[in-house]
Amino acid sequence: MSFELILGAWVAAGLTLFILTFLYQDNPLFKLAEHLYVGVSVGYAIVKTYDTVLVRLIYEPMLKPGFTQGEWAKGDWSLLIPLTIGALMLARYAPKTAWMSRIAFAFVVGVGSGLAIPRVVSSYILKQIEDTVRPLLMLGADGGVSFTASLANPASNLNSIVLLVGVVSVLFYFFFSVEHTGPGRVVARTGIVFLMISFGAAFGYTVMARMSLLIGRLTDLIEFAQPKYGGATWWLLALTIVTLIVFHLRRGRTEPRQ
Amino acid sequence: MTFAERMLRIDRRIIFLIIGVCTLVPLLFPMGLAIKTSPEVTSVYDYIEHMPEGSVFLLSLDFDPASKPELYPQAVALLHHAFNRNLRVIGMTLWLPGTGMANEVITHVAQERGKVNGKDYVFLGWSPGGGSVIINMGQSIGTAFPTDYYNQPTASLPVLAGIQSLRDVQYVVSLAAGTTGIETWYVFGKDKYKFELGGGCTGVIAPGLYPLLRSGQINGLIGGLRGAAEYEVLLGRKGRAVAGMDAQSVTHLVIIVLVILCNVFYFMLRRSRQGGGQALPSGS
Amino acid sequence: MNFFRRQLPLLITFVTGVLFALQYYVPHPASEAMLTSVTKWLQIIGGFALVLGVTSLFHLHAVKIRRKEPGWGYSFVLYAGIIGTIVVGLWHNGKETVDNVTTSFGWIYNFMMVPLQGTMFAILAFFIASAAYRSFRARSPEAAVLLIAAIIVMMGRVPLGEYLIPLSGDVTQWILNVLNASVRRAILIGISLGAIALSLKIIFGVERAYLGGGKE
Repeated sequence: MSFELILGAWVAAGLTLFILTFLYQDNPLFKLAEHLYVGVSVGYAIVKTYDTVLVRLIYEPMLKPGFTQGEWAKGDWSLLIPLTIGALMLARYAPKTAWMSRIAFAFVVGVGSGLAIPRVVSSYILKQIEDTVRPLLMLGADGGVSFTASLANPASNLNSIVLLVGVVSVLFYFFFSVEHTGPGRVVARTGIVFLMISFGAAFGYTVMARMSLLIGRLTDLIEFAQPKYGGATWWLLALTIVTLIVFHLRRGRTEPRQ
Repeated sequence: MTFAERMLRIDRRIIFLIIGVCTLVPLLFPMGLAIKTSPEVTSVYDYIEHMPEGSVFLLSLDFDPASKPELYPQAVALLHHAFNRNLRVIGMTLWLPGTGMANEVITHVAQERGKVNGKDYVFLGWSPGGGSVIINMGQSIGTAFPTDYYNQPTASLPVLAGIQSLRDVQYVVSLAAGTTGIETWYVFGKDKYKFELGGGCTGVIAPGLYPLLRSGQINGLIGGLRGAAEYEVLLGRKGRAVAGMDAQSVTHLVIIVLVILCNVFYFMLRRSRQGGGQALPSGS
Repeated sequence: MNFFRRQLPLLITFVTGVLFALQYYVPHPASEAMLTSVTKWLQIIGGFALVLGVTSLFHLHAVKIRRKEPGWGYSFVLYAGIIGTIVVGLWHNGKETVDNVTTSFGWIYNFMMVPLQGTMFAILAFFIASAAYRSFRARSPEAAVLLIAAIIVMMGRVPLGEYLIPLSGDVTQWILNVLNASVRRAILIGISLGAIALSLKIIFGVERAYLGGGKE
């Protein structure tokens, strides 16, 4: 096993344990790891943005000698336009030129809004309503009608009715311009019941997600506890516990007696 | 202080310890319970299983290291399946922090399967813009990604021969951890460019994707670690997801027990306070 | 000058907004070419937008160091992380692997960034358990419904739960595919209508908060 891999295992196990110390209490080990996390993430973002945007999207299509691909031949000078707009965005840092950044934001927001409107209408409104207002009876090949009542099949007629009731009652619940009295109150209460069931399902799934993340980290710690990594997890766990005890004792000595 | 009150005010670090132990023990001593597969995961599996050899499969790994335990096993399983079926695989990501992981998983699985970069698969890397990248790919993949992740011109790669835009891609699967994910691929991609779309996601966003699943806007959904485990079972290739399901089982049961206990103590406290004529303090 | 500061941005938003909303319905090659070009530009401009977030972080911690606020030493750790990662990253041209060999940049990513970010979110597992124990109480009938649904889904999504109560899996599937889907659909429709209303307000200049910087 290479030295880089073993060193990496020790660093990864150490940083994982430092973050986990927060469960006991906030402490310098956690703060160190937290600031390192932010620093490394930001540094990574900067490097990736430089490589992707400046090199691959701007430099190579515009200036790299002999670079051709498809319809973007060498020297695509139209990329000066987005380069200028991007530069205008950065003008917000100087108070005298900050107004120029409005032009850049206006362009980005205008295009974004224009692109989004018809696509959102088509995808989220029309398609979703289309699936909600399904036929309540099935038409057979012989011209007869049937009603499927299987709860196990989400596409059955019974479930289509339940779905329709759910969508309408929840939409009505959020319609606060009309007072929820009389029959409206019944519809709104139905909506609340549907909402509570959905939130319960969301909570259950969220628990599953969070536990999965913990399982992932503990799996790595178990891996790094193996002898081939020098028992990194064990040694660093001992070091972390000793360090926490030292911090605890020092805090006890420096804090005034009550 | 009554017993119920003491139990409700217990130091939360004891609960942390219980959760930690209950997660660790099943990982060290697995039970190996059977995993039932669901229709939404089977749909994704069946679609890939019936794709002809040489078809184009695009896998967008739209997640960061925070979601690695749930979505990395999904990516491994999907890539093994795609390479097994000799599909042409295009990998990419819309999430900057996930670029390194996306590159690693595709390279690693491809190496295991003896696949060649540029000939059998390509990793396009990351590009900023979210929906604009998808629209741009829908117009022309070469315009959105003039080069692949390793700075090779995409127009010269054999794996992309004959693929001008997303209209030439047979199946897109987005493994998503949040916004700029499956919904973005549908709204800015499938809606206009008409490729088939499947999804894999974390447990947090899975319930929100069921409307798209029900309306057929996505043909299948692999939800969380459970979804990844189901896919591994279908593939006959048990990996990290199946290994994690025992720990998942135990922790879920522990949380259910904790919630039930909390309610038992709450009602005990409520009864004793009401019996003694005391009002319950707010928040308890 | 007022025109450039005030009216011009609103005019640009209006023209681009209407143009690209209508573009969806115009399949003419010139319209498609315009879409291709402008979405390409947005990819590049998106990269510049990332710079904005980074510089504000720099500024925040520079102030902390200058004023020697509590914990200012950690800001040095942050700067060291940023600068170290950038130097190593640029040295390897931003690549984590070269010819299937992990670079130092890839090492930082695999053994620092991934474990740090992973663990930050993994500790949420402990907090969700603690919060569930302390606050998840059936104070009302609605809360009881939420509680029961959560328990059914937690049972139904794990093999042990399905083994103990076989029906929990099927009930979970029904809850997710029918009840949950109907609620999420209603929420999706509502949010989409709101988003469209906001986009129209932006295009027609009613909503201007996005413009930000500089005096009007």
